[in-house]
Amino acid sequence: MQAPVTFPVPVLRLPRGPDGLSRGFAPDGRRECSIAQESLESQKQRARAALRDRYLRGLLAMVSHQVSFTLHEGVRVATHFGATDMDVANFYVSQLQTPIGVQAEALLRCSDIISYTFKP
Amino acid sequence: MSEWMKKGPLEWQDYIYKEVRVTASEKNEYKGWVLTTDPVSANIVLVNFLEDGSMSVTGIMGHAVQTVETMNEGDHRVREKLMHLFTSGDCKAYSSEDLEERKNSLKKWLEKNHIPITEQGDAPRTLCVAGVLTIDPPYGPENCSSSNEIILSRVQDLIEGHLTASQ
Repeated sequence: MQAPVTFPVPVLRLPRGPDGLSRGFAPDGRRECSIAQESLESQKQRARAALRDRYLRGLLAMVSHQVSFTLHEGVRVATHFGATDMDVANFYVSQLQTPIGVQAEALLRCSDIISYTFKP
Repeated sequence: MSEWMKKGPLEWQDYIYKEVRVTASEKNEYKGWVLTTDPVSANIVLVNFLEDGSMSVTGIMGHAVQTVETMNEGDHRVREKLMHLFTSGDCKAYSSEDLEERKNSLKKWLEKNHIPITEQGDAPRTLCVAGVLTIDPPYGPENCSSSNEIILSRVQDLIEGHLTASQ
């Protein structure tokens, strides 16, 4: 008998959790949670989801807008915001105005950025 | 990892709608109303209301945050403004009479165009086209839901035409 045909299933990748490792699963699983613990855990998850939702909408509002980034050593650069990756580790920007010229497209690392600002 | 990044989501959520002063790396200081904190990167998003009525939005990277001090607990007005910021495109609040009028006006227009239309649900009621497409309030082209692309496209065009004609 032929083996059943398997179809690749698209895997949804979630951003890293606060411990920097897990991707969306509670560290101690659901094995022996008391009712109180579960409700606290689900409260935290709801809070995390609400916070993230608002942040993502904020990022979406920034797309194609002029954004000013404050980098290290007091450097400020103006640019057009494109996107960030899931962990908000990199900012994809275009028309980056640097002190030594305009860069058509660039990737700013979050570790190099202190803050960003724009007018919606 | 800074103190700020070690906080939990419930603590971060507590800061929303409050006015804070944030000190960050290299003596940068920011003041504003907290919109949210990203739980993944701990980036704080602050909103400032400028004199000319416009707003500026600032994001401070989580890794750069040193201290966060609450300056103002905030009031109902600020809460209202921030709650709807970025939520839905042109967030125009319609009264129930407005919605009823829009619904009836659209229904007449669609019937005129020989589209079989019924109503369902509680007020404000959802319009239903041929049992395959629904139109939720406020009855704009983006409020249509259907799995049939052809009908969806046709109805959206009709609504679009109706809205531009009535403006």
